[in-house]
Amino acid sequence: MPKGPQKGSNSAGGGEEEFNLEQMEKETEEMLKLRYLDDSNAVFERTQGGFVSVRIKEEFYPRVQVIRMFPFSDPEKYISIRTPDEHSKEIGVIEDMKQISKETRKMLEEQLNLRYFTPIITKIINIKDEYGYAYFDVVTDRGACRFTINVGGHAVVHLSETRILISDIDENRFEIPDVTKLSARELKLLDLFL
Amino acid sequence: MEKVKLPTSVSAALKAQGVSVDSVLFASATDMNTFCEYADGYVVLADDKLCVLASPPCPEQVRLFKGYGTKAEAEADVPHDWAVKIMPLAELEQLSIERQVACGILVANNGERLAAFSNLHTKKMHLLVRAFENLKNPQPDFMNHEKEEEEYCPTCGTMYPNKNRKICPKCMDRGTIFMRVLRYFKPYIGKMAIMMVCFFGIAGLNLVWPYLNGTVLYDYILEKDAAFLERIGIPNAEFATALLLVVLAMFLAKLSIQLLSVLQGIFTAQIVTSVVRDLKKDIFGAMGKLSINFYKSRQTGSLMTRVLSDAERVTGFFIDGAPYVLIHGFTILSTIAVMFSIRWELAIVACILTPISVVIGFKLRPYFWRLFGRSHRAERAINSQVNDNLTGARVVKAFGQEQREISRFHTNNTRMMDAELSIVRFDVKFSFIYHFTQELTNFIVWLIGVFLIFRSINFELGVLITFVGYVGQLSGPMNFFSHVFRWWSNSINSAQRMFEILDSIPEVQESENPVSMPKPRGEIVLDHVTFGYEINKPVLKNINLRVNEGEMLGIVGRSGAGKTTLVNLISRMYDPQEGTITLDGVNVRDLTFHDLRRNVAMVSQETYIFMGTVEQNIAYANPNASKAEIIRAAVLASAHDFILRMPDGYDTVIGSAGRELSGGERQRISIARAILANPKILILDEATASVDTETEKAIQSSINYLIKGRTTISIAHRLSTLRDADKLVVIDNGEITEEGTQKELTALHGTYYKLMELQTKALALKGIE
Repeated sequence: MPKGPQKGSNSAGGGEEEFNLEQMEKETEEMLKLRYLDDSNAVFERTQGGFVSVRIKEEFYPRVQVIRMFPFSDPEKYISIRTPDEHSKEIGVIEDMKQISKETRKMLEEQLNLRYFTPIITKIINIKDEYGYAYFDVVTDRGACRFTINVGGHAVVHLSETRILISDIDENRFEIPDVTKLSARELKLLDLFL
Repeated sequence: MEKVKLPTSVSAALKAQGVSVDSVLFASATDMNTFCEYADGYVVLADDKLCVLASPPCPEQVRLFKGYGTKAEAEADVPHDWAVKIMPLAELEQLSIERQVACGILVANNGERLAAFSNLHTKKMHLLVRAFENLKNPQPDFMNHEKEEEEYCPTCGTMYPNKNRKICPKCMDRGTIFMRVLRYFKPYIGKMAIMMVCFFGIAGLNLVWPYLNGTVLYDYILEKDAAFLERIGIPNAEFATALLLVVLAMFLAKLSIQLLSVLQGIFTAQIVTSVVRDLKKDIFGAMGKLSINFYKSRQTGSLMTRVLSDAERVTGFFIDGAPYVLIHGFTILSTIAVMFSIRWELAIVACILTPISVVIGFKLRPYFWRLFGRSHRAERAINSQVNDNLTGARVVKAFGQEQREISRFHTNNTRMMDAELSIVRFDVKFSFIYHFTQELTNFIVWLIGVFLIFRSINFELGVLITFVGYVGQLSGPMNFFSHVFRWWSNSINSAQRMFEILDSIPEVQESENPVSMPKPRGEIVLDHVTFGYEINKPVLKNINLRVNEGEMLGIVGRSGAGKTTLVNLISRMYDPQEGTITLDGVNVRDLTFHDLRRNVAMVSQETYIFMGTVEQNIAYANPNASKAEIIRAAVLASAHDFILRMPDGYDTVIGSAGRELSGGERQRISIARAILANPKILILDEATASVDTETEKAIQSSINYLIKGRTTISIAHRLSTLRDADKLVVIDNGEITEEGTQKELTALHGTYYKLMELQTKALALKGIE
């Protein structure tokens, strides 16, 4: 049941009438550049739908995606502002969140917090290891959680000597920022994964 | 359609807003708000509206994620103050789910956040979006996945962590694992019986030994007890003869013990190695049957540990541990019985401390369990790293990073050492207590014994020596019992890991009554195929495709568009989540694996050369091929000449242990392999991507020969490769965006045209390829 060839009209780049090599070369060159954004050249605003828009001189993006380049090692620096579509392209980079105004920073952080949603484990009540799975009963900064991880896989990742990230079987994330701050009992429970 | 089950408070809230519960088509719970707080919510799709229910965050509520808790707990009807937002479907053009790093958000019209949810609900939310899309744009064969529910263990009610492997970790008790391992010993039951006879023989003789060596020697012979000689039938009080006899008996006893030990050792070795072999065979077989996905989610090194050391570790206990439980139990009980018959006061003293060590050993079991788990993980990490380094040796060298890799290895190695050390440390502590109690017992027995002899209360030196001998006899078995729990932990730990593999159900399975199709015509039809490696991230979306018998289909598209995934579905490396793939009108799911894979051959960019000769590698898919056929295949693949340039010709050993081949050479070997396999359907996955233009030309002509009379699907970046294709499709983002002959596509001025222009102008620009 082949469909007609006319379906191609909505393909990527299909809108162009003629093939324009110069245009392409220009696009490619742009792809190789890194544009830094700060208060002087970019204006961010909250949208009605709960997202953020940005205006950079004449360019206006009604909705952008905010991404950390180093979510673990340097969450405050190198924030990439991107288009929200599937082929997400970079609009610009904020080098340091400290360099931008408080409101903008708050606005972007709201977006980042949701994107990198990771409850912090503050207390371990119990961990039971049974037949390839471990059952965690913990308290997080977002409330009490009980989740299951796959012991054989890569559920527990050491971000540093003391910081660990735990992913449950659905890949929900939980973090322990500093294992040395846990009590002896908690450490003993967690020992299996250290 | 069945009515959707909703919590009572949700139904009430909907009713209050004038939404009839009967009009509800689909509903999914949510568990977050967009401020990153856990809060219950509901998204309900009704006939003509979408209702989003939100409740205030409730930090006291315990959040249950997948695998935790029972069905009743998961479906608990928690009443909330629902804030209901109603959106008429007429105003809702688009509904989509945007995956965040570890959660998801529901977005309306590509700009309005409706709800947020953890990954627990992602799947259900996707189904909701699908149901919405179907409402907007009805598909005739829309499948409602609503019934796809989590499954729960019937015994304890806990959700299975993995639906494909219906084993409840909570109910899987360790005794069951023990029995399962025991089954592997069944074929060797005869040898086991002999082994047990040896064991009991040794135990019995050991029991006699202190008596001969103490009471008989000291009290009867050395004390010249005439009555004893009478009893054993040596008249005239010939003590020299008696002594000789006793010594001879002692000698024979020791000799028999040694002989029985040797015999038992031989049988043990035979049984152990056989069982280890059987176990490894089963694990390797089970791993082979598992689907590609299984391999993707695990490190090679860790799998190697499973196959290689776990089987040994398991069997070790069953041979060196389990039988001794019986033997040593027997020894201990009989020794104690004998001790009591000799002198009950002393026996009480001797036994009073021994249970302590056994109890301690039993109590410490969970700690050992943990320590062994840790040591195993450390071992796995080392294996993985070594494997990683050996594979990537070239990169390590090229960047001069040997030193860093060494220190990385050192870290893992130290971790392993620490794990082992903590086991030893634990062990030493325990041994200290254990040996201390034992020495103390010995000391007290001597003290009281000597005291009894001084007072000469019906007690003699020989009896004391016999008695002390029995106390000593106890030490071995007791020591064993103090360690047996550790072994048990270790071995069951390994067994558990092994069975995890043995119990895994392959995701792609042969149907129960597969259809045999030895010689298909080769017509392939993909009908509304949707597939994603994760159910909610479709890589291929609603693909419709038809390749007629003997035709060549070319697939073009940027990297990551889903081209390779598409061809992997045809040979059933994976099964599509929706839609069907048919071969000559028969669903590939119904075909036997043998026929399907025999008739579908793939030449891909990643060529794998197995350890072996050139001949074996070419004949991999068809080991019965004659030498003439192999040569013919090599000639057709233009591999013949370079093979003969190697000193050992077709007998040259290639692969990881042998001679290294260049990319083009490997490619030609794999083409020869495909020619020899003689499949009806040929898949070329960027078969010439990694070779230079000249080699490509050579390979291309081989391919041109190869595709004759076969249905061919060819994926290529270089459009020149697809010149002869009867039909071309452009895949972008998992969808077919352009389809037609080369002429039609060129006329279309779309992606294909753009790519062709780029390539003819010899501009390989980044991102477009």
